[in-house]
Amino acid sequence: MSDIFFLVLRRLRTPLILLVSTYAIATLGMTLIPGIDPDGNPWRMSFFHAFYFVSFMGTTIGFGEIPYAFTDAQRAWVLVCIYTSVIAWLYGIGTMLRLVQDETFRNAVAQRAFKLSIQRIHRPFHIICGYGETGQLITRGLSELGIQAVIIDLNSERLHSLELEELAIPAIVLTGDITEPNNLVAAGINHPRCRGVIAVTQDDHTNLQIAVASKLVNPEIAVICRSEIQDEADNMASFGTDAIINPYLTFGRRLSLLSNNPALYRIHNWFINQHSPEHINRRITHQGLPSGNWVICGYGRFGKAVEHYIANTNSPGPDGVTITIVDIDPEAKNAPEGSIQGRGTEAKTLIAAGIERASVIVAASDDDANNLSILITAKQLNKNLISIGRVNKEANHTLFLHSGCDYVMRRSQVVANEVLTNISRPLVSKFLQYSSSLSSSDTEELITKICELTNNGDPVTWRLVIDHDNAPALVRFVDRERSLTVADISHNEALPRTSSIPLLLLRGGMSHLLPSPDMPLKINDEILLCGPRNQTLLAQKLRDNVELVDTLVNNNPHHIPILRWRRRQKEQ
Amino acid sequence: MNLEKVIFAFFIILALSLNFSFFVGEIADPTHHHPYELYAALIVSLICTVMKFGDRTQFGSTVLASSLVVDLLLIAAAVTWGVSSLGQDTTSPATMATVTSLAGGALIANLLSVVLLIIETGQIRK
Repeated sequence: MSDIFFLVLRRLRTPLILLVSTYAIATLGMTLIPGIDPDGNPWRMSFFHAFYFVSFMGTTIGFGEIPYAFTDAQRAWVLVCIYTSVIAWLYGIGTMLRLVQDETFRNAVAQRAFKLSIQRIHRPFHIICGYGETGQLITRGLSELGIQAVIIDLNSERLHSLELEELAIPAIVLTGDITEPNNLVAAGINHPRCRGVIAVTQDDHTNLQIAVASKLVNPEIAVICRSEIQDEADNMASFGTDAIINPYLTFGRRLSLLSNNPALYRIHNWFINQHSPEHINRRITHQGLPSGNWVICGYGRFGKAVEHYIANTNSPGPDGVTITIVDIDPEAKNAPEGSIQGRGTEAKTLIAAGIERASVIVAASDDDANNLSILITAKQLNKNLISIGRVNKEANHTLFLHSGCDYVMRRSQVVANEVLTNISRPLVSKFLQYSSSLSSSDTEELITKICELTNNGDPVTWRLVIDHDNAPALVRFVDRERSLTVADISHNEALPRTSSIPLLLLRGGMSHLLPSPDMPLKINDEILLCGPRNQTLLAQKLRDNVELVDTLVNNNPHHIPILRWRRRQKEQ
Repeated sequence: MNLEKVIFAFFIILALSLNFSFFVGEIADPTHHHPYELYAALIVSLICTVMKFGDRTQFGSTVLASSLVVDLLLIAAAVTWGVSSLGQDTTSPATMATVTSLAGGALIANLLSVVLLIIETGQIRK
């Protein structure tokens, strides 16, 4: 406030001095010049009358010559005064208008508004650095989760597009250089409700700078970074960045999971991509990726990541996976021997890479037009091919859907979903981490159960914390030394549509994967449940409804309140 | 030499001088106090106030405050004089005494502004 106020005052100095002087001289002149009253006697205007006259003259209201008609000398003076006062007013108003349009003034107003909205935040929030495609997806996801987002970006045009988004919780926006630590402080990194900083700019080095600055300014804060270059990622990890997300490695890991343990992949896919589902052919999610001959066109960071994961997790040879690399300059990029030189967009190169015998094609170059061309040409040469395409520019992803691509890799989506899972669903991250220890038969069984529950739809996860704030009714029940089991809160015959599947139970830092139904619950347990989308789960109903807990869990058969109460008393 | 400083010092000392020249004289005697002097003192003080607008230094804001006090007192004096002499040609001694004493109050504040100005100048020398 004070900044804007002082700026206005400072700019208005000259016009105000001009106005005061004009009025002073005009008033003085009016009192000095003698007039003649109707009786012919000379008279002089008093200061009161003179100021009255000048006031309405200066604002061009013009009530006429009062109290008596003026003499010629007075009229001549009034003539001078009219023009000077009008000019003084015009100058003053002009300065005011120019000030409102002034860049400095607008910045001061915008910064003031930003500072106020940061101060007024009353819910947990995250600072998102960089509002690109990834930033946009994360902002939407956070808004759906009921988490406030504070966005900093240098590009004000991109931020303007945010105004068109219909977000449930409007994001707070600052146009500014993210690498300036002052902006991070202004965005509330020291605010008690700030939960974390998410650095998702295009540039790895910028993300690194943000991570360093955040950790120095507030070591407590969680920092999540997007990184595509291993060097920078190692650097980020060296000073305790909480999570580093590399879209290529993440996607490579998914592909390897998909080719080795498709059932587990399906579970990952469900729980990680809750916000924006990935485009993947249903057939692949059920059967996984085939072994055989893989052709990877483009040996850049993505191509290398895919090759690395696929080659490491599958045995080579006739039963395993053989990988053929196609790249425009295989030697410069250290491609393995036997790589084919070429873009892969023309049939000749693809045939040389053995596309007719191949099972999977990965279009991994950094050019969308080339990738599309590779996918279409490859499909023409081999109808049964499974195609995986990398989207570089988010706007082009619809083209990949039209091209019949089986699995579309969108960098920003991969990063956004990972970030959202990381910050909003800590139990899901834990579950996914431990789920790799599940045998494939257990995984299959879990999938069958989930599919039955959701009618083959996509499930959602929900976390229940058994404490006074989140589940008062359940805490009261457990406090009376009744046994509350996992089964009690996940399934009840009276309300079959609200059933859920317990995935993970966290007790005192120990995780119990797929807790058995008869496991008793304790206070401060955290439990991860999964159920159908758009359905209130039993646990959600029970957590703050004492009566419902009494009826369903305690098996109180009475309907009349007094009888219910008596029965409760008897039991105690 | 800074022209802006010269102009500001000029106005602030002029305000004090004009204020004093109005104030000096028998307190209730209208012939000792001319309305033009009060008018000039008020206008100069207003200009001093505007000149200190937006000054964020400690000195600037104190001068602005004392200058606002001067404005307030002188405007009160002018309004008192104007309103009580409506419809009559002469000023009663009682009114004159009120106007003069208000101007005397303003004189103190003006004096303070000048003292502050001198202190600031002294600090710059060091």
